Amino acid sequence: MENLESLLHGFTIAVTVPHLTLMVIGVLLGILVGVLPGLGAPNGVSLLLPLTFGMQPVSAIILLSSMYWGALFGGSVTSILFNIPGEPSSVATTFDGYPMARDGRPTTALATAFGSAAFGALVGVILITFLASWVAQVALAFGPPEYFAVYFLAFASFVGMGGAAPIKTVVALAIGFAIAAIGIDTVSGSVRLTMGIDELVKGVSFVVAVMGLFGIGELLIAVEEEFSARAVSSRVDWKEVFRALGRLPHHGIALLRSAAIGCWMGITPGGPTAASFMSYGIAKRFSRNGARFGTGEAEGIVAPETADHAAGTSALLPMLSLGIPGSATAAVMMGGLMIWGLNPGPMLFVDQKDFVWGLIASMYVGNIVAVALVLLTVPVFAALMRIPFAVIAPLIVIICVVGAYSVSNSYLDVVLMLGFGVVGYLFKKLHYPLAPLVLAIVIGDKAEDAFRQAMLMSKGSLGIFFANRLVTTLVLAGIALLLLPLALQIVRLLRKPDVSAQEKVRII
Amino acid sequence: MISRRALEIAAAVLTGIFGVVVVVSSLDNGIGWSSAGVDAGTFPFLTGIIIVLGSLYNLGQGALGRGTLAIVRVAVTPSELRRLAGLFVPAAIFVAVIPMVGMYLASAAYVFAVLALPRRRSVLSALVIAAATPLALYVVFERMFHVSLPHGALAAAFGF
Repeated sequence: MENLESLLHGFTIAVTVPHLTLMVIGVLLGILVGVLPGLGAPNGVSLLLPLTFGMQPVSAIILLSSMYWGALFGGSVTSILFNIPGEPSSVATTFDGYPMARDGRPTTALATAFGSAAFGALVGVILITFLASWVAQVALAFGPPEYFAVYFLAFASFVGMGGAAPIKTVVALAIGFAIAAIGIDTVSGSVRLTMGIDELVKGVSFVVAVMGLFGIGELLIAVEEEFSARAVSSRVDWKEVFRALGRLPHHGIALLRSAAIGCWMGITPGGPTAASFMSYGIAKRFSRNGARFGTGEAEGIVAPETADHAAGTSALLPMLSLGIPGSATAAVMMGGLMIWGLNPGPMLFVDQKDFVWGLIASMYVGNIVAVALVLLTVPVFAALMRIPFAVIAPLIVIICVVGAYSVSNSYLDVVLMLGFGVVGYLFKKLHYPLAPLVLAIVIGDKAEDAFRQAMLMSKGSLGIFFANRLVTTLVLAGIALLLLPLALQIVRLLRKPDVSAQEKVRII
Repeated sequence: MISRRALEIAAAVLTGIFGVVVVVSSLDNGIGWSSAGVDAGTFPFLTGIIIVLGSLYNLGQGALGRGTLAIVRVAVTPSELRRLAGLFVPAAIFVAVIPMVGMYLASAAYVFAVLALPRRRSVLSALVIAAATPLALYVVFERMFHVSLPHGALAAAFGF
């Protein structure tokens, strides 16, 4: 109950006119950087940081964290409308969000995404409020073997669920791992797979790969099919926004399950990206409509969005209580904390009660402000779908080019992005699945590092993955998730080969 | 016209070449177990081997015309190929000229060319969109977020 009192005190700090104004400004700027690919929350936060030096620490962190919420929401917009994920964590949103928008229901897709994202964030904040100390302990129990087990779990829940040919899936996954390995190896420090091109030392950024594979690749598929977006009614349809929100409780189980996955992956440093992929994979497997996933199913938007935001929110906790930044944005914010004269870590909760609880209270209020603002912008974004394809196509190309360039001011990235576009088209055309490829690019090198560090600790014995209860449970759950669908598939194949049903599944 | 068989073979050959490159260059980093733990090249080496083996399997399936998509014979028809080229070739030219003329000029010319030349839009509206695009890029990236876009060799020659 002590926490509750502190929280109420926090609300008196957060809900004041100047702080609410800061939230609105932060959220709006956040939506802008979130929508533009290439710019992300880290850019926005680092640009605003100098402005905050003269502010009270509470006001400053409210401005920066509001910007973070705005960017999280904004990242989903381009994923849904143009199949270009602005952030790694919104890749899984494209799987069902984009087909739904293309089907002439952009308003429903956006409203569903924002509604479930808000739910996920809310669960994350509630978790932070009540379990702060417990959560800090869990995060401390995580060493390299546990990290690897979490990544393994994410892969296991995702791989082998699609209708793609198994060998093509394996090839796509392996290519993703190889791309992730390009550049400097973090364990040994040696340079890998640069193939004689010095600039590749910095590695292949995820954003570059994804904008090519999804953005340009989808554009090529679209012109080939002579695609034109189905007419979207020109009226601003507010009723549709509320109807979509009203339908969310029908996905109650998916919401709760995804929020749980998200919180778990946020605390254990699996991160929002792994969380959203894992949540999508599990939802597809257990949903009654699982077979229709990938064709614009609402639950396919609910699952990744809820998990993404639950993880994004609960990931701020390790930063505050342990001083471990869980993401680039958190790292910049932590730099801010130190400049404002605060020391992140366990003592923060004792020394700076006003700051901590003001921030936690502002997470509740800030998310409500963000949802309200972002829902207001839905009709504006939905209207973008009405621009004729002939005009929007070159603009998407330019956005992808600028986005790829601005990741690290490198022209090579632009060329690579275009190359990924051709690969994306080819793979999509021939039903190589793109999702395992992207997942491997994003968390492949982290999984590899964790595995090798674990091997160093155990001097080469695999027994370290069964050394304690936590890691054993994680590994066994991963193996079960991996083998279950395989077993089911074998049973089905033995009964009757059903080719026609497989053909209908959209390969993602 | 491109048959599905040719496309499958091309894709498998491409992934296979990538796999071989990965295997060869990972050997430089050393594979196996050393005093420093698992060597840096080990994982890329294994993924490379998997890519090569998988590509060989896909190559065989594609060449024999088997697999899940065997019923579809034609992958890309001539008119589809024309539309694909219509999007991709200008985009590739756009990317190619960026180092020379810079992002702003290149994007304006690209938008104008794609919209006005095939008579998709009137020349006037194409001009307006072509002028608005680099302006929006400049305001958002260079001004608001201090992200510098390439100005190109041409601008450098004039002293920008």
